[in-house]
Amino acid sequence: MSVYKHDYRAYTGEVTPLWTRVNVLARYAFSEAWSSKITVTLFTLSLAPIIVFLILIYVANNPIARALITRGNPQAFAIDAKFFLKVIEMQSWCALVVTAWIAPRLISFDLSDNALPILLSHPISRVGYISGKFIALFSSLSAITWFPCLLLFAYQGYSSAEHWTAANLPIAFGLLVGSLIWIAFLSLLGLALSSWVKWRVVATGVIFAAVFVPAGVGGIVTAIMRTKWGFLLNLPFIMSLLWQRLLGAPEFMRSGQSIPTTAIVIMLGLACLLCIAMLNARIRAREVVRG
Amino acid sequence: MGIVDLDGLEVRLGGRTVLAGITGELQGHAIGLLGPNGAGKSTLINTLLGFHEPFKGTARVFGFDVRRERSRIRQQIGYMPENDSFIGNMSGVKFVRYMAELAGLPQEVALERAHEALFYVGLGEVRYRKISTYSLGMKQLIKLAQALAHGPRLLILDEPTNGLDPMARQRMIQVIKEIRKEGSIRLLISSHLLRDIDETCDEVLILKGGRIAALSNIEQERNSHRNFIELETVGATEQFTARIRALGCECAAYPGGRIKLVMPDKIAARDLYVIASELGVQIRRMNQRRDSLEDIFLRAMDSEIGRPEHVSV
Repeated sequence: MSVYKHDYRAYTGEVTPLWTRVNVLARYAFSEAWSSKITVTLFTLSLAPIIVFLILIYVANNPIARALITRGNPQAFAIDAKFFLKVIEMQSWCALVVTAWIAPRLISFDLSDNALPILLSHPISRVGYISGKFIALFSSLSAITWFPCLLLFAYQGYSSAEHWTAANLPIAFGLLVGSLIWIAFLSLLGLALSSWVKWRVVATGVIFAAVFVPAGVGGIVTAIMRTKWGFLLNLPFIMSLLWQRLLGAPEFMRSGQSIPTTAIVIMLGLACLLCIAMLNARIRAREVVRG
Repeated sequence: MGIVDLDGLEVRLGGRTVLAGITGELQGHAIGLLGPNGAGKSTLINTLLGFHEPFKGTARVFGFDVRRERSRIRQQIGYMPENDSFIGNMSGVKFVRYMAELAGLPQEVALERAHEALFYVGLGEVRYRKISTYSLGMKQLIKLAQALAHGPRLLILDEPTNGLDPMARQRMIQVIKEIRKEGSIRLLISSHLLRDIDETCDEVLILKGGRIAALSNIEQERNSHRNFIELETVGATEQFTARIRALGCECAAYPGGRIKLVMPDKIAARDLYVIASELGVQIRRMNQRRDSLEDIFLRAMDSEIGRPEHVSV
């Protein structure tokens, strides 16, 4: 085959290993996600809080600036687990916004034009397809969650006294694990819901609804049934609890009303399984041309 | 070993048997897949691609088992689905490159071959346009381009001329013929249109109710009736008939000078003209009848579950 001769020639060259095909999917998904100016804008805005936190760390570690601003209140600029809890919370909700925008772009285009029969007729499985999309979304969210959080931690470690980093390593661990759990869940949720909603704008709304509507329902259940277990449906609440425990920050709930970590993990696990089942059902249904 | 070997292949979808234990060996260079709606054509294609798991039996493509070696089969296949199937938001060249990379071509090679494939099918000028802006004919061609770009050994075309206007259809048929002529790619073409299969294929597999109704080499099937001739004569018809019989032809005379005969291979049509000339008989019409694909298809549809346990051409 050649452009000027218009003849066909068979391909006899090297073929890439099978496992690299997931990377191809991830690369094209990544490119699709970032081809939108809105994605770039959202990403930039998501990093704005990091700048603010960076300045706060600078101020906290600069005696002159601290003296000028805090006016003798040393607790005002304490860089501790509570501070990093605010960081992770802020970045995690930014990640939700970014997910609501990016996830529908990764799946809806394939589904709206019925591209799955062609995509999956290549040496790639359903799991490979989902993995490719997952990697693209997960890596995009990583850039606004655990990565800048750990950079802030590193900067604080660099700016403060030597023993600070060693004494606060659990905070770094909490930032990493807490962010990874959240963005893995968000990626699955975003992909699963996007695969079931044809229109991208609606899919964006559905992703927000999936986080906040059950929270409302959980609140009602808690109030009516007078039980703490209704909070399990409140995703923002249980995630905050989880982050607090991972970072070692003081809990805001009274001990009697607190939810055990095991219950939170089981709840998140079940939600992830539900998302995987939804994805599997949808992709399976759309992978062949019915005729 | 054929290109596709079917060994008691039974496929059930939703508890319903769609392919009922079909056995056969497809060996042709371009194989047509015919059958009425619901005969199991698409199911067979999807099973070969590994989308459906065989309930019983198996199928092999180039010797690779559809159950165990799905990836290796898909590596060898280029698939053009029946319905719209593309990513409308992508440009033609990006889409074909994407598919070629998924098939295992390195990035640079995939880009090069994407350009070549698009020129080859006649979409060179519009390769940077978004696919969503393409006409129906162009969309069919871009599906063909992506199926070709990675240089498959077997090209599966599901209703390639579906919805095309006569010009676009002609263009598609022409491209398919060129691919067949080039020789490195085997073709499996599913179509409702007998004409498409007739023009492009040398072997046909006819499915009916999930079973093989016929599997035949089209050219051989045609040639098996090549000596059946209808004549319309004026003059000494009886003498003429007697002379032809003496030559070894089976023949029957009808009123109005009409004669039907089956000629042995050693006798040519010219011999008939010579006898007619000697007897002063005018041959007004000579109709050398060949079996069309339509005849083959109708015969297959008429027959009961048709074929024996194992069929091959």
